[in-house]
Amino acid sequence: MRFPIVSAIYQKEMLDLIRDRRTLISMVAVPLIVMPLLLNLAVRLMSRMQENAENEAKTMAVAIRISTPSIREALEKAQIQLVEKDDLKDAVLKKTAAAGVEEIPGTPSLVQIYADNSNPTSSAAAARVHAALDDLKEARVRESLKNSGIPASVLTPFVVKRTNIAGARKMSGMVWGSMLGYVLLLLMFAGGMYPVIDMTAGEKERKTIEALLSSPATRQEIVVGKNLAAMSAIFITAILTLGSMVYSLKGSHLASKSPEMQEMMRTIPLDPHTVTEIAIILVPLAMFAAALMFSIALFAKSYKEGASYLTPLVFVVIVPALMGGMSGFQMSPALCLIPIFNASQMIRGILVGDVSTANFTITMGANVVYACLAFMVATKQFENENVLFRS
Amino acid sequence: MIQVRGLSKTFSDSKRGTRLAVDNVSFDVRAGEVFGLLGPNGAGKTTTLRMLATLLKPSSGTAALNGFDIVREPQKVREQIGFLSGDMGQYGRLTPLEILNFFGKLYGMDAARRASRIDALMTMLDMKSFAGVRTDKLSTGMKQKTAIARTMLHDPPVLILDEPTSGLDVPTARAIETAIVDARKAGKCVLYSTHVMEEAEYLCDRIGVISGGKLRMVGTMDELRAATGKQRLREIFLDLLGLEQ
Repeated sequence: MRFPIVSAIYQKEMLDLIRDRRTLISMVAVPLIVMPLLLNLAVRLMSRMQENAENEAKTMAVAIRISTPSIREALEKAQIQLVEKDDLKDAVLKKTAAAGVEEIPGTPSLVQIYADNSNPTSSAAAARVHAALDDLKEARVRESLKNSGIPASVLTPFVVKRTNIAGARKMSGMVWGSMLGYVLLLLMFAGGMYPVIDMTAGEKERKTIEALLSSPATRQEIVVGKNLAAMSAIFITAILTLGSMVYSLKGSHLASKSPEMQEMMRTIPLDPHTVTEIAIILVPLAMFAAALMFSIALFAKSYKEGASYLTPLVFVVIVPALMGGMSGFQMSPALCLIPIFNASQMIRGILVGDVSTANFTITMGANVVYACLAFMVATKQFENENVLFRS
Repeated sequence: MIQVRGLSKTFSDSKRGTRLAVDNVSFDVRAGEVFGLLGPNGAGKTTTLRMLATLLKPSSGTAALNGFDIVREPQKVREQIGFLSGDMGQYGRLTPLEILNFFGKLYGMDAARRASRIDALMTMLDMKSFAGVRTDKLSTGMKQKTAIARTMLHDPPVLILDEPTSGLDVPTARAIETAIVDARKAGKCVLYSTHVMEEAEYLCDRIGVISGGKLRMVGTMDELRAATGKQRLREIFLDLLGLEQ
């Protein structure tokens, strides 16, 4: 293996890649422009929807069919606008009322609340009604106890308090960890797709491969140079995605008006140390992705054929990437052996602050082994004239 | 310079089955000689040249180029040759200068030697006006000149040219023919395949006619005329293919 030859191939591939519009879009524009825009838009939209639902719940009337005056008074006291309707369910479904309240006589009498849970305004209105009725129920119980000479303290023989000891960082890490790994891994494979096709099937389609193969560069040197370039493209995509997500997530708390959302955004654990750990995890994965996609795309004779081979692979990546981010899985050495899943799980673990050295080492080691195996397959394919000159 | 001995190549695929593309071909090409390989489409010319350029491995037989065996020493062989095919493409996003520098590095040329060879070839092929323009913006002729410069960049003793003037206009084809004549004068060994009879008659010292994977006859124009009784290469070619009445 001659370093100057590998270096020449690597430099040429990188120069070729940065001048390719398709590669620039998938490698740079998507992580740097599309992702932050989408994230910002999603946060603003969620915040706006929540705000609208709360406002509408306050202003939109609640349909009632109530005979007991105290219930009506309790709802009015809670500043809920009331309107008499015959068909409460129909009114809620047709959105002429935010929620419905019906008193059904009996012992005890039943106060039925109707809500359309698919509509945030209806849910919020039903919650307000429920709270007002709970207050009324408690006031009545207290009054009865008082009339019977029993102290109100019998209602609270003891207090139950639940404290979340996870802390804001851990909670935030859990929520964002499930998303970040998935987005990163998906964009890594999608970002590497065009560069890899360009340097394999693209080279065949443009008929430049014969000139390269007839040069003194060995097949292995060509594969190493090209794979390093593909790996760089994938890793650059990952780093740009990571950087842009850190920037946009950290910045997007300003876009949200909800205090909970603002706190969640503010406490995302994406400090330099965490980001570095995530970047380290992605190195062997980028090597693996490059060699795997290279082996597959090499079969194709044209750009179009290459894209049709690699697009399903990008979809295949979605499943382990998504599952790895789920909180239900307890990291174990065995699970650390599953490619892509292990990296996604590790990213979530790093964000939550729950990664053991053993699991980290196994994940890194497994992905290095997979990268080496994929590289060996890629080299073997590149030495196969039936693959290179497939007609 | 080139010794080809019993070279054969078999291809197998599920659609067409097994097919013998090159069948026991043997010939020699000396230094300072242009050897033309003539044959109809599918005769085995390109496969033969690809084997000699070590792109394909022979099924049997072997060849030596400038003393290096194509099966045992493919890398050494590639250092001795400049290989050009008429339908070879170019890296469209790179300029001719960048392409030549890239291949110069692959041939192990240092920066000073690269610079002087690139300058000489660009002057010879009149390429300086488009040296810094991206190749995908260039005309077919300019691209082919870049390909010729790339083939001759490392000053190889052996040139393998597979229909290098295919699809070119007359001035560009002429420039390539001149480059071949100059290479012969410089003592290079040139193996050349073409469809154009006039070109072969004008350029080649000896001609080999290949058909159905077999080399039918090898000789100078005079030897071919004597063997077939025909005068023009077109008639000789058709006669050897059994198509001349």
